[in-house]
Amino acid sequence: MDAASHLGVVVDLSPTHWYLSSTRTQHNARPLSLKSFLSHLLVFLNSHIACKDENTLAVFGVLPGRSIMLYSSTSESSGNPLDKADANTYRPFKVLDATVMRTIAEHVENLGPSDLEIPGELVGALTKSLCHINRITTTSSAHANGQTASIDPRILILSVSPDQSLSYIPIMNSIFSAQKLRVTIDVCKVYGSESVFLQQAAHLTGGSYLHIDRADALLQYLTMSFLPPPGIRQLLSVPTQDKIDFRAACFCHKRIVDIGFVCSVCLSIFCQPVPVCSTCRTKFPIKTLQRLNAARPAVTTPTAAATPYIRSPASLPSSNAIKVGAVNGSQAAARNGLR
Amino acid sequence: MPPRLVENYNGDDSDSDVDIFGDFDAGVKGKGKGKGKAIDRGKKDKGKGKAKEQSYAWEASYTRSWDTVQEDEAGSLQGAVEDLIARGRRRRLLAPAAAIRRAIIRHLILLLDLSSAMMDRDMRPTRFDLMLQYAREFVTEWFDQNPLGQIGVVGMRAGIGERMGEMSGNPQEVLKAISERHKLEPTGEPSLQNAIEMARASMSHLPTHSSREIIIIFGSLTTCDPGNIHDTLAECVKDRIRVSVVALAAEMKICRELCDKTGGQFGVALNEGHFKDLLFELIPPPAQRALSTGPNARGGATAPADLMMMGFPTRLPDTSPPSLCVCHSQLKSEGFLCPRCGAKVCDVPTDCDICGLMIVSSPHLARSYHHLFPVKTYQAVRSLDDTPNASATCHACARPFKDAPQPMAGATGEGMSPLGRYRCPDCQNDFCAECDVFVHDVVHCCPGCGK
Repeated sequence: MDAASHLGVVVDLSPTHWYLSSTRTQHNARPLSLKSFLSHLLVFLNSHIACKDENTLAVFGVLPGRSIMLYSSTSESSGNPLDKADANTYRPFKVLDATVMRTIAEHVENLGPSDLEIPGELVGALTKSLCHINRITTTSSAHANGQTASIDPRILILSVSPDQSLSYIPIMNSIFSAQKLRVTIDVCKVYGSESVFLQQAAHLTGGSYLHIDRADALLQYLTMSFLPPPGIRQLLSVPTQDKIDFRAACFCHKRIVDIGFVCSVCLSIFCQPVPVCSTCRTKFPIKTLQRLNAARPAVTTPTAAATPYIRSPASLPSSNAIKVGAVNGSQAAARNGLR
Repeated sequence: MPPRLVENYNGDDSDSDVDIFGDFDAGVKGKGKGKGKAIDRGKKDKGKGKAKEQSYAWEASYTRSWDTVQEDEAGSLQGAVEDLIARGRRRRLLAPAAAIRRAIIRHLILLLDLSSAMMDRDMRPTRFDLMLQYAREFVTEWFDQNPLGQIGVVGMRAGIGERMGEMSGNPQEVLKAISERHKLEPTGEPSLQNAIEMARASMSHLPTHSSREIIIIFGSLTTCDPGNIHDTLAECVKDRIRVSVVALAAEMKICRELCDKTGGQFGVALNEGHFKDLLFELIPPPAQRALSTGPNARGGATAPADLMMMGFPTRLPDTSPPSLCVCHSQLKSEGFLCPRCGAKVCDVPTDCDICGLMIVSSPHLARSYHHLFPVKTYQAVRSLDDTPNASATCHACARPFKDAPQPMAGATGEGMSPLGRYRCPDCQNDFCAECDVFVHDVVHCCPGCGK
């Protein structure tokens, strides 16, 4: 591949979840500490800039309540005078390692005990990374006037914390802007449960979503699946995504729902029938409310709420029969209620 | 009759510096950022008063365009040009951000004139070819911005209306309907009435909460109708169909009346570029306010709203074990699972064949959310006196800010910051001009506060 590629890495540095990841429990048979994670990551970052001389890199950290830029290979001030020339190390590697580690250390030092509860600012890091890519692509196309301006940008998100349903809309907005900029978003879920929003991000931008089974082999996963740029990946067989959950977060309680009630005017999603849309102040007819309320119990039974993860095609017929019966019953009830 | 002058349209022959903005706009559009721009423009056009104040280009007084450009110390013009570009971007952002109610579930019939007048060569290569080319781009962009909408295509030729494509929510099907040039060969006289009646009939079954629109691309100066077209017009008003016309030849009284009475937009294309502009102005969802305040409002009632139950499915990968789908009874691996009954359907959006639940993919809905929650406009920072420890770099892209205020060419104000800093009113972070535009036009989410 001739085109240079730009990689934006968004690293989730949530202290709570890294603690959980590093402790050995029944479910977490192969713990991975932040320290060993960072050494895996630095090797991966080094190999990215080693792949091609023109490759650029930007690293963003997600901390509780804020997001920071850890390293950018395009900013001129990154060359720090404190590190002396080392005959055994390639200088860009050293600069990269030192800058990333130093910035992380600085910011982690400043964390207080109150920060442990605040969720990480993934959206901030993602949008910053997009702004950075926007700047690089626009300025480079202005300079080179389209001849060698084809930088191939992509973003890799290394996530350990679960979804923040509060940030559903901003994440979706970032995904659509990534689509517009033709940025591929790859997601590597290092620890924790599947992330619905990041699955959608990878699916919509044509990236790959990888939930790794053996955290101690992280570097292997990173180099095999995320090092080759999207152009080359067509020739390799990169792991494809399994099921994708298209669930959304409701606007009223920020719950993640699989059946929602949608305002026909503004398309806001609610988890229960509401008389007035909280977004556009539209009043809904009382008949609709009655009908939907009557249909609802069948929807929000505990089994229906708990099944989405374990639902598999093989188990369908039986669940079909039960649920369809329940639904029909509720519709009949709704009709009776209206009379 | 002379066409109405459209704001911020630059003719090819104008030699003022405004051309810089024109070029820039074209550049932005080429990168697929047309969305924000088109919306802003739509907003501007809503304030018609502004357009009326402006005189026609040939009536305007002589402008000394070179006075607005000033050289810097080194005698270079680059600073001045950059300043002008930044000003142009910023101006688009300052469009009024008042709340407007827009239609989101849109139904549109594209009425294409296929009469012999379309073979005229005043637009290159012919009106017909240009119309097809723009119609294709229009459809693609329209579905990008109105993912839940549906488009049907009707052609008018040889005195009748001809259905080219059924109402469909799939861009590929619509594009297929207008892809085969030989099937659309223009001939005969057009009939506005027949075509509008056909379009009206194909939208009669739609639910009440959806918006109905007709967009007519009209190249002829005559229409050959079987009855009184004013009856058709009255029916359109009654059915709340919004008719917009892009005329290629000249203004016709009946076309103007169709648009005015139904709340649509009318425009006469001056040249190829203007044709595209007029057509693409119709892409952003129309404000529903215009309908209710228009002459056709029935007692001020807005379109009735409803709450709909929708399910968000799970997508099965290609590698899953094959099973029968409920819509075609075919053995397939990939598909979507209905969240209520677990049935497998081939494509979304659709209604589940088993339980009747409307199944949509949530990203489809989410595409429209930036209309609902726009990012607050950033304030231009005039001086750093009240913020002692201001950050040295842009909060989003980490580009260092200018230290000293840049001398501004021309009048200050217009929301320009001499320091190149724009501050979010919520999180008090500073952003550079480029990120300001990018955040408001594309991302719709502030990197500082994440909202």
